[in-house]
Parts: sequence; structure tokens; C-alpha cells
Amino acid sequence: MGVLTAESENVTASRIAANSKRMPFLLQVTTMAWRSLVTTFRTPAAIIPGIIISVFFLFVYTGSLGNASNFLPGLAGKSYLAFILPVSIVSSALSGAGVAGQAIVRDIENGYFDKLLLTPLSRSALLLGPMIAGAVTLGLQTIIVLAVGLLLGLESATGLGGLLVVIALALILGVGFSGFTVAIALRTGSAAATQGGSFLFFPLTFLTATFVPVALLSGWIKTAAEYNPITYILEAMRAVLLDGWQAEVLLRGLTSASVLGIVLFVFALLSLRSRTARR
Amino acid sequence: MSNREIVAENLIKRYGNFAAVNGVSFKVSSGEIYGFLGPNGAGKSTTVSMMTTLALPTSGRALVGGFDAVSQAGEVRRVAGVALQEIGLDPLMKSMELLTIQAQTFGYSRKEAQARARELLDLVKLSEFTERQVGKYSGGMRRRLDLAMALAHEPEILFLDEPTTGLDPASRRDIWAEVRRLNKEHGMTIFLTTQYLEEADELADRVAIIKQGQIAVEGTPAELKASMGTESINVSFRETDQAEKAADQLRDMGRVQIDRKVLRLYMSQAAAAVPAVMNRLQAASLEPISLTLTQPTLDDVFLQVTGGRFTESEPEAEAVA
Repeated sequence: MGVLTAESENVTASRIAANSKRMPFLLQVTTMAWRSLVTTFRTPAAIIPGIIISVFFLFVYTGSLGNASNFLPGLAGKSYLAFILPVSIVSSALSGAGVAGQAIVRDIENGYFDKLLLTPLSRSALLLGPMIAGAVTLGLQTIIVLAVGLLLGLESATGLGGLLVVIALALILGVGFSGFTVAIALRTGSAAATQGGSFLFFPLTFLTATFVPVALLSGWIKTAAEYNPITYILEAMRAVLLDGWQAEVLLRGLTSASVLGIVLFVFALLSLRSRTARR
Repeated sequence: MSNREIVAENLIKRYGNFAAVNGVSFKVSSGEIYGFLGPNGAGKSTTVSMMTTLALPTSGRALVGGFDAVSQAGEVRRVAGVALQEIGLDPLMKSMELLTIQAQTFGYSRKEAQARARELLDLVKLSEFTERQVGKYSGGMRRRLDLAMALAHEPEILFLDEPTTGLDPASRRDIWAEVRRLNKEHGMTIFLTTQYLEEADELADRVAIIKQGQIAVEGTPAELKASMGTESINVSFRETDQAEKAADQLRDMGRVQIDRKVLRLYMSQAAAAVPAVMNRLQAASLEPISLTLTQPTLDDVFLQVTGGRFTESEPEAEAVA
């Protein structure tokens, strides 16, 4: 009975009404993000290893290199924990980013992606949803890593504000990395390729001032670090944790993260175009 | 009454050198159920993808509810509901969540969408399973939910791509009943692809048989069956000469054809003539081993058109003696 509330006599009216009704863009994005988060948390096995690995790295680096700051010019008397913690956060951003790409691959495989393409949802919302969910997951990971850091005796030179900056930078970076894995997912539709694709970013976390400040690098790795946007993100995080507010360093970090994020989102959007055009 | 027609004009979809759909034209009137029948790989799903905006035609035009599937894709998505061959459901989500989001994407407020979702879950008899993840549903339940998803935004036109493939007979009947109801009560135009002749025969007002990307024949199921000729009574005997004697007795009733020990009598209203045939055979002391009645079926049409085994084997027969 009356399943379709519009009966045939006023179909024209319902057609006009249906055509004019729109879901606000922001709601589209939050709804899609919420959906991705719900499914992520229904498969906790997908995110727990990432958190464990980040914490593991933090322990290993501080355990083995904890006294190194005494021998490193420019770090003497400072906490190596605060210096290395951003590396742990960036690498967790990397592993967390795979979540968004895997979510898209899952949707492509189970056909829900096609179903969503048949709705009036904006294409950007389709991408931003899983990317934001990836970033939120990553935010939680970052908070956990920071909490472990605090337990190990981390002290932020800029207090809570600095911690928030670290989280914000991680989130922007996470959206960017997510965009990258989403793009690979859209181009290949393959879980294995998406997994592999997220490793392409792995060198970025090491071709930079990973273990020592940039000033101590030399040769090709110094050049690589200077072109690597991760370097400036790490520097910004380290500055707020070790030294205090430094507008220029902070701005450079935020710009690097944002540019990386935007470029990778556009890459994802282009990948969506090519995916839908090909079919 | 709004335009609920579906029109395809010389639709072509090429992948490289391969033409998956090679010049398909048809017109489905408002409120009609149109069956698109063909074997695997004939181009059914590709046609649906183009009609429903998922794929761009290489050339040709697709109009759904008067809207062009290429230049007015947004409008087409609003007037048409689509259940693809591959069930498009996220197994980690629950039916209530999926339906609510589906309705919301078409502009329903959260409250309206939830009400609509409850209504649809009632309709497809899944109200008791709203808290279960879809991945734990049976095949039949998933199909029903997928159909409900296609109906979420109250479409006027419905595309169903092989809606009962892989379903048990009971679930298949449920889907059929629902398709008929949507068509009758809501005047929905329904485009249905299927590999099952029975399904096309049962549901469709008109049927097109598609082969290698082209429509081979089109018509009502009755017309297509009639094109295959009339019914026949098939009588088999122990010996060839008995069949020949029987032919002499029956020649005036219709066209007779003898194939060794089997006699075929082609005539209209064959069932009613069975007693008369038996009487004449008895009068001539001819004892048949069996007597069967053959109705032309959509099978015959399908197999002839698609170049199947029709010429080699018996058409579907109904035993009466």
C-alpha cells in the first residue's frame, strides 16, 4: 500500500519537488564521512596494527637513540623524544592513509560505489567522505601516539597549543595521503595495488631529516630533504614541541602540508573522472 | 501524467574494436514492463549502464522519462531507480543505514529518510533484520534490500538488471510479485533484463531478444510464440509403418510430418483435438507408445534466435498420455 506517497495524479508535482530537493553539500560530506567511519570501526583489525606500529617505532627510536641528542649539535640538552615523535606521527599518517583507499576498493568491489554514483551525490563528497574518515582515524592514532609520548615524559615547549598544531598538521597530511591511496584505488580497483601504492610514500618519511636535524645532513640526502615537503612538516612539529612558536617555520609546515593535501585531492578527483569516463 | 517512457535510438557501445552493444533501438511506453532477454554477454548490462548514466554511449541516444542520459544525467538519476546485476550493498552496513543514506542523497531530510526506510523495509519484509549487517543476509534478502534501495527516491521508471539471477524459486516469486505490484499500483515503467525465458514470459508486456549486441526480435510474448508456428501433437509408435498408417488417418486434421517412428500433427487448439486423435487411432487399431502435446514456448523463439540447440532437440513438451 501507499509505498510511493506520490500517486499517479500528482506525479508531476512530485517530479518537480524531487528535482528541486537537494542534500546540502556539507551534509553530503559529513554523511559520507560518517558512513566510512562506521564501517572502519566495524573492522578494527584494519586500524589497530597501524597504531601498534607507530607506538612501537616511538619506543624503539627513543630507546636506541634517546641519548643521541647529547652528541648532535643543535639538539644538545633537548629531548630526543620530542624530536623523534613527529616521525612516528608522520609514519602513522602513512599507514592510516591506506584505510581510505581500502574503503574505496571495498566499495568498488561490493558494488556500492556504483550505487552511489547513481545518486545525485557530488563527486567531491564521494571522495572527501572516505578521506575525512581516514583523517579522523588518523587523528585518533595521533592522539594515542601523543598520549604515549606524554607518558614517556614528552614536554611541549608551547603547551597544549603545540600539541594541537601537531594534530592539525597530521590531519592535513592524512587527508593528502588518503587522497593518494584513494586515487590509486580508483585507478586500479585493486586492494593489492592500493596497499602497494601507500608504500610509494614510505621513502618520503626517510629521505628527510628523520633522525637528525637538516643542518646535519649532507650530500644527496640533504638535497632530497630540501625538496621533500615532509621535511618542513617535521620541522614545524619539532619547533612547537622543542623551541616554541616560530611563525615562519610554522607557516612553511602548514603550507607544505596544505599544498600536498590539495595536489593529492586533485589527483584523486582526476582519477575519479577517468574511472567514471572509462566505463 | 508525466513522461515515463524509455527510448533508445541506435545505441552503440564499443570497447576498442569490440561492440558490446551494436545499434540497439527500442521504445518502452509509460507503464509498460519491457523484458530484455538474452544470454550472458549479449549486451544487456551494457545497455542498462548506458540508459542509467553509468556508461557513456559511443553513439546513439538514450532517453529516460524524456531526459537525455548523457546531457541530463542528473534528471535521469532522479526519475529512474536502478538495481544492477551486481548487488551494490556495503556488507558492513545495516539495512536501515543504507536506505536512510540512499533517501537522503535524493534530498530527503534525515527524518523523512528514516520514515521512508522503515516503509521500504516493511515492503520487502526485512523489518525484523534492521540491526543485522547486510553481509550476514541471505542472497534473497540482499536482492530484496537492493530493490528497496532502487525504490528509495520514489522513481517513476525502474531498471532491473537480472533481478532474480541466483535466487531460489520462492525468492524469485517474491520479486516477481513486487515487480507486478509496482507496475500496477504505481504505474511504474519497468525495464527488466533476464536470462530466464519464464521470467520474461511471466512479467513482460513486450520482450526483445538481444544477441551479440543487437535486438534480434521484439514483440509481445504471444506474438513471439506465434511466430514459431502452431502447436503440435506428437505421437510415437513401436514401428515406422504404424506411424505411416496413422498419418493416413490424421491427414485431414492438420499438417502431418513423419520422423521415423514419430508422427507430428501441426494444428491449432491441439489440446482439444487429443480425444479425437485417440479415437481415430483406436478405430484403426494403432497403439501409440506415447502422445505428447507441444506448445511453442519463448524457449523456441529464444533458441532459434540465439542459434542454440533448438534444431537438434525436442522443444519443451507436456505429456498428456
